Amino acid sequence: MAAGPTPASAEAREALKLAMARLADGDRSALEDIYRATRVKLFGICLRILGDRKEAEDALQDVYVNLWQKADRYDPTRASPISWLATFARNRAIDRLRTGKVRGGAVPVEEASPLPDEAPLADALLVDAEQTAQIHTCLKGLDENAQEHIRAAFFDGKTYAQLAESADVPLGTMKSWIRRGLQKLRACLEASE
Amino acid sequence: MSDQNDIKRDDPMLAAEFSLGLLEGEELLTARGKLATDPAFAARKEWWDNWFAPWTDEIVGAKPSDAVWQQIQARLDAATADGGSAGGAEVIELQSKLRRWQWTAGITSAAAAVALAFLAFPSGTPGTQPGPLPTATMAAADPLMATVPIGDTGLRLDVTYLPDSERMMVAAIGLTADGVHDHELWLVPADGSALQSLGVVAPGEVRTVTLPADITRNMGDGVELVLTREPIGGKPEGVDAGPVVAQGAFSQV
Repeated sequence: MAAGPTPASAEAREALKLAMARLADGDRSALEDIYRATRVKLFGICLRILGDRKEAEDALQDVYVNLWQKADRYDPTRASPISWLATFARNRAIDRLRTGKVRGGAVPVEEASPLPDEAPLADALLVDAEQTAQIHTCLKGLDENAQEHIRAAFFDGKTYAQLAESADVPLGTMKSWIRRGLQKLRACLEASE
Repeated sequence: MSDQNDIKRDDPMLAAEFSLGLLEGEELLTARGKLATDPAFAARKEWWDNWFAPWTDEIVGAKPSDAVWQQIQARLDAATADGGSAGGAEVIELQSKLRRWQWTAGITSAAAAVALAFLAFPSGTPGTQPGPLPTATMAAADPLMATVPIGDTGLRLDVTYLPDSERMMVAAIGLTADGVHDHELWLVPADGSALQSLGVVAPGEVRTVTLPADITRNMGDGVELVLTREPIGGKPEGVDAGPVVAQGAFSQV
């Protein structure tokens, strides 16, 4: 397919896979390789969710320290390394948001953007073009309300209560929109497998 | 308007909500508890995670400051130093840490002080003055303490964890068994992963256990504990944990 991974990114993914295996064997130099290859993407995720550079840097630290301590938790047969690491980083950032260490919450996209002199996308690993296309197709089949709020939950780390408040609808309405959307999304994704 | 009942909130739905990060409070704890005990639920959570992960490609990357990597290395170095075998100099450090813990425990909680009887102090430990303040690199090895108040009863659990020996003491002095329920203590890992059982609480007793590595690696300052009400003997296999009746968090002594 046209949007498939380029040879260079395929190489980067393979290198990351090997580094993860070395990490699981307790090779500390592997952590530095993983850090160099993934920090731009994972920091972008933490920054998007937390909306604060300092908080995002603290979260990023936790991500890699945790990764070192629990390297055996990654199973290469179940997820690609970058997909797993992206999920790991997002969970860590959301956790920080929920424990009340951060009050502000996520900021609008433009504020979370990197400094102009940085060109990070060049070394940001992408997860999987084919999967991306599929979830986009399935998402487009949902009601607009569901689409919008499921994405807001993912990108801003918002809870049901926060989503209901910002949309100015009752909590039950928000839950109903999102659950109906998730049910449909699940059916569509399962059908594609 | 209340929750509409036309959408079934089954486990795959809960897993999706959990994966997106929509849950909070007790619902979040329930989901994390399920993650620990229900492989089908864990697999479904992972299924959603894998489908949602490509969305992170839409997030603009950003470069962290160079200090981040230095701090990561410093934390790894500190952890490695703690894990090392105790040589001559480290024994002295250990003694001062234990003294400091003894001193803090003595003024914080009589129940925890009882637990001191379980500790074998090195012979010739001088004086009773608290030791010098620990240095930054020692911080990770300092004892962790948590109090878990039980409702409005004025009773509480005192939980102490000693990283050096990987031992945890749970003091449930003053608590009595009701003959119908047991209470089970759970660690809530800071990384959002599944709850880990720390065992059933023994009312009126001080118990000491040595914790396995998969639990000790989740121990740290600020890590939360929850207490659930369970049938006698603790949470049965294959069912969800009971209601959360009390909560607390570790803080470093």
